[in-house]
Amino acid sequence: MNLHSILSILVFSPLLGIVVLAFLPKQSEKLIKWVGFLATIPALLIALAAYLHFQWGKDLADFAVSKSWIQFRGMGGAPEPFFSVNYELGLSGFQLLLVVLTAVVATLSAIAAVKFVKKEWKGYFMLFLLLEIGMLGVFTAENLILFFIFFEVTLIPTFFLIGKWGYFEKEKAAYSFLIYNGLGSAVLLIVIMILFAKTGTTNIEMLTKIIADPSAPLSGDLKLGLLIALLVAFGVKLPIFPLHSWMLKVHVQAPPAVVMIHSGILLKIGAYGLIRFGLGIFPEQFKTLATLLAVLGVINLLYGAFLAFIQTDFKMVLAYSSISHMGIVLIGLAAMNEAGVQGAIFQVISHGLISALLFFLVGVLYERTDTSLIENLGGMAKGMPIAAGFLLAGAMASLGLPGMSGFVSEFMAFLGLFKELPWIAAVGTIGIIMTAAYLLRAVLGMTYGKAHREFTGVLDLKGVEFVPVVVLFVLIVLIGVYPSVLSAPLQTTLETIMLGLGG
Amino acid sequence: MSSVPASAFLALALILFCIGLYGALTKRNTVIVLISIELMLNAVNINLVTFSKYGMTPSITGQIFALFAICVAAAEASVGLAILIALYRTKKTVNIDEMNTMKN
Amino acid sequence: MMENAWLIPLFPLLSFLILLLFGKRLKKASAYVGIIFTLASLIFSILVLFERFSEPTYMTKFEWLTIGDLHLTAGFEVNQLNALMLFIVSLVSFLVHTYSKGYMNGDERFPVFYAYLGLFTFAMLGLVLSPNLLQTYIFWELVGVGSFLLIGFYFNKEEAKAAAKKAFIMTRIGDVGLFIGMILLFWETKSFEYSEIFKAVDSGAVSGTMITLTAILIFIGAVGKSGQFPLHTWLPDAMEGPTPVSALIHAATMVAAGVYLVAALFPLFLASKTALLTIAVIGAFTAIFAASIGLVQTDIKRVLAYSTVSQLGYMMLALGSGGYVAGVFHLMTHAFFKALLFLAAGSVIHAVHTQNIEEMGGLWKKLKLTGPLFLIGTLAISGVPLLSGFFSKDEILIAAWEGGHPILFLLALIAAFMTAFYMFRLFFMVFTGEARSEMKHVHESPNNMTFPMILLGVLAIVAGYVNTPWFGSFFGDWLVDGNPALGHGHIEGPIWIMIAATVVSLLGIYVAYLMYFKRSLSRNWLSGTGDTLHTILLNKYYVDEFYQLTVIAFTKGFSYFLRFIDVFVVEGLVKGVVGIVQGLGKTGSKMQTGQVQTYGAVAFIGLALLAVIFALTGGYLR
Repeated sequence: MNLHSILSILVFSPLLGIVVLAFLPKQSEKLIKWVGFLATIPALLIALAAYLHFQWGKDLADFAVSKSWIQFRGMGGAPEPFFSVNYELGLSGFQLLLVVLTAVVATLSAIAAVKFVKKEWKGYFMLFLLLEIGMLGVFTAENLILFFIFFEVTLIPTFFLIGKWGYFEKEKAAYSFLIYNGLGSAVLLIVIMILFAKTGTTNIEMLTKIIADPSAPLSGDLKLGLLIALLVAFGVKLPIFPLHSWMLKVHVQAPPAVVMIHSGILLKIGAYGLIRFGLGIFPEQFKTLATLLAVLGVINLLYGAFLAFIQTDFKMVLAYSSISHMGIVLIGLAAMNEAGVQGAIFQVISHGLISALLFFLVGVLYERTDTSLIENLGGMAKGMPIAAGFLLAGAMASLGLPGMSGFVSEFMAFLGLFKELPWIAAVGTIGIIMTAAYLLRAVLGMTYGKAHREFTGVLDLKGVEFVPVVVLFVLIVLIGVYPSVLSAPLQTTLETIMLGLGG
Repeated sequence: MSSVPASAFLALALILFCIGLYGALTKRNTVIVLISIELMLNAVNINLVTFSKYGMTPSITGQIFALFAICVAAAEASVGLAILIALYRTKKTVNIDEMNTMKN
Repeated sequence: MMENAWLIPLFPLLSFLILLLFGKRLKKASAYVGIIFTLASLIFSILVLFERFSEPTYMTKFEWLTIGDLHLTAGFEVNQLNALMLFIVSLVSFLVHTYSKGYMNGDERFPVFYAYLGLFTFAMLGLVLSPNLLQTYIFWELVGVGSFLLIGFYFNKEEAKAAAKKAFIMTRIGDVGLFIGMILLFWETKSFEYSEIFKAVDSGAVSGTMITLTAILIFIGAVGKSGQFPLHTWLPDAMEGPTPVSALIHAATMVAAGVYLVAALFPLFLASKTALLTIAVIGAFTAIFAASIGLVQTDIKRVLAYSTVSQLGYMMLALGSGGYVAGVFHLMTHAFFKALLFLAAGSVIHAVHTQNIEEMGGLWKKLKLTGPLFLIGTLAISGVPLLSGFFSKDEILIAAWEGGHPILFLLALIAAFMTAFYMFRLFFMVFTGEARSEMKHVHESPNNMTFPMILLGVLAIVAGYVNTPWFGSFFGDWLVDGNPALGHGHIEGPIWIMIAATVVSLLGIYVAYLMYFKRSLSRNWLSGTGDTLHTILLNKYYVDEFYQLTVIAFTKGFSYFLRFIDVFVVEGLVKGVVGIVQGLGKTGSKMQTGQVQTYGAVAFIGLALLAVIFALTGGYLR
């Protein structure tokens, strides 16, 4: 079998679902839901197969594909440089993990959508599948132009998904999402174009080589400027304080199934970009920014944690908690050693799973009780013990309980930073306490205590709702107990990054 | 014939164009505006003809182009007048200040 | 047998998983699942302990996590301390499992209770088997969760919710100390393994200040877990949990984890005089501080809780004075008699359905078994000769004296007096005097509750003899065997210390006897209402209120301040940018007059400007 076409099939497999959906009548709800769900399965299977392929000791480079796509000569009719953009997809260990994460969360989000989306399923699932193409493409693209195209492909469906299927202030949230991210991607485009114009290539591997070469036609200042621009572009996505306010609105207003994707994967594109392009292409300049990044990381961590401490809406708590947790990614990156970077990557994956789990549960709660306010939900453990149990477990994972994925990433990120910048790391550890404080305050406020309302009828998790909860929870525990499932594929990626850092 | 220098033709064209421009931008009466536009077109025609004679590579192209321009100008004038009449019928005025339906 | 020691924690884990998944169907049978699995753990632990008497330390490890060149391992180790702790933990856990079958009978979340117990036991057994700091930290946190879940077991009680939250967050503050200490130590020694750390410390590869810093940071972890001042406030509140839980977690095992941690890392602490002194001072202070609060409390479980805090302070004092054996010895005896006291207290609560000792009285005749057992526990903890507490307390006092801390020694002596006093105050108030009228239907607890108490009662008496000079201080010698750095198995102290300790505790008992049994001494001697000292003690020195007014208020205030920033500064910036864009747009749209002539003029001027610029600069594309 030809492995080279596998990645293209993986990325574009949801397209089949879109085509089928286009021919279905709008009213056939059941059929649309089935097609929407099933269309995510091929990508999931291929992603898992690719993971197994790696685990069996085969080379991930087998999957790389490169076809010539766009070519043109430089301006002024000069024969050189010859500009070409190839259609290049590939997988490294890091990308593989993110693709698997995307495929898993997308499938689970489809299940959530089947449960929670109440209208216009056809449009929803078509946009959703388009979004999945975008996400898979972002993580497999091997050149910047292709990356950018897929990056934009994720923006538009998300805009409509939020704006049409969200809660009360959905339009506002959707616009603020689009404008912030649009600006971010505009900055990204400028960076890409400068790199393209200066080096004549957008292939990431080649760019890394060219820029590492001291005779490259880029001055140190320009590189630093480009890196800072990248930091802004991906900082919007991550989000880094003070570019975060759009994300709060999205977390609160978007439908739960979309937030699962958004918090679970879309935010991770920011981290992925920072690691792959920031750290990967500009390692030298990254070093000079390390302290700044560490400080930003700690600010993110503490800022999110303190604000989460006083929120009254659980969705807001989770939104600020996402900001806080992305601080850990920055902390890990700022360490610039194996432990830190691996911690950052672990955090990316782990937070993806945990936030997907928590937002799914929020969806369940909202569907049953029409509220996500902490005080309104007090004592729900009585009426819905299983949901409450998973909520508590999810909170525990999120606050970094050992045995779950959150701990491993937090531990490694801090391990890394303590080696390089112990004082900043020490300040950051306050975040560990605060995380426990705000999560317990919120989750215990909802689950424990006297019941403020009647929880009658069948409220607890049932039927297909168990699938996402259990799958995510098992993955979280698996990573926490046996982190080698993640660390093994990462070693080559780490080596490459460390090589770039010169040690 | 050749005693008249190219600069004289160009100056004439410039003057004509400026008059036309002035008229097109300032006159209230739409008919006069249309006539001013014709003036500008004709200034261009003079330029075309001048360069076809005195240009770096003299050729007949300029004159032919001028003929084209005259044709187009005629067409334009007729369409313009037609619109003008239609407007006059609805608005009972040819005052250009009142024809601001593009706004709002 | 020792190579299979890893099975010991897995049994309770299995019990936890089974009960979590099938608990609803098993209902009452859940208890048997829990009991059988912990019994298996207990049997294995005993076998391991006996094997350890004759064989050297067993250790095995495998790679757990790879970070570039760093290979972190996991595994397990059976050394003397670990083997001993395995035995204590699995024994108490087994007994508590048995006891709970009667105590928790009728609770609708019966299977959940057993599931949680299983989780906790798993974590605790895993903790004491850990051969490295990282693994210790992992299980350290997990026992915290077990404790958290069990404190909050009655989840619809607001107090239980608050207590659970407080326990988790307070201990986490300590844990962060451990976390930082562990990581700093890792970068100094390039390893989490105890043996590697000790080697590096021994060889002088770690600087003195670093040793002190990491040792104190790790000790902060122990402070949190073992309820030492100033992180002690969660432990008394933790009594909101069911009583068997208090016996298992908040008396015998988890709270002792802090002491265990210091003991396990003892060579590290020995390398820093400052760290040792810190431990000794905190320990001694906590011992007397908590004991003084215990004097006036009226909730039976809270008195016991403060006594636990005080006794843990004792152990810390022993370790801080260099008395490794004394500390571990007291840890063991305390586990037995304090578990006994809690289970007996549970039996009393089970019978009278209140925890307020002022509403009790005259129960001696009604609880024929619980009464004497409680008395045994009380005598043991008071340090009355021939019971286990006497021997271990004596060791601690000797260690403090020999360690060169006369002031701390004095504090410990005063605390011993207070302990004897408040324990007998408790005993007399509960078991003697007038029986209250409303306590008519009082009956003794069922067998599955009394059996564990009897076993613990026996142990509370005899456990002390394993380390007496008369028997050749067998226990201590074994404990330090192969590790001369840990000190001697038994320190021969001056005889007057033993006499002083005995006198002091008897005096405490006598005063309590006069005040609460004979009533010949006014109870208002100290506990007069309105008295300032009494109020302060009753309110536990206002530590909670102090935290409420400082740390918590600050956190809240800071959060609101940040929200202010979020809403006004960050959002304000965004609004500002939006405003500028909108303003520009409005100005632009005003220029759209709809006048074609204006547009034409603008276009022409623009063209003219471009031409001028072109003429002046010569253009870009020259």
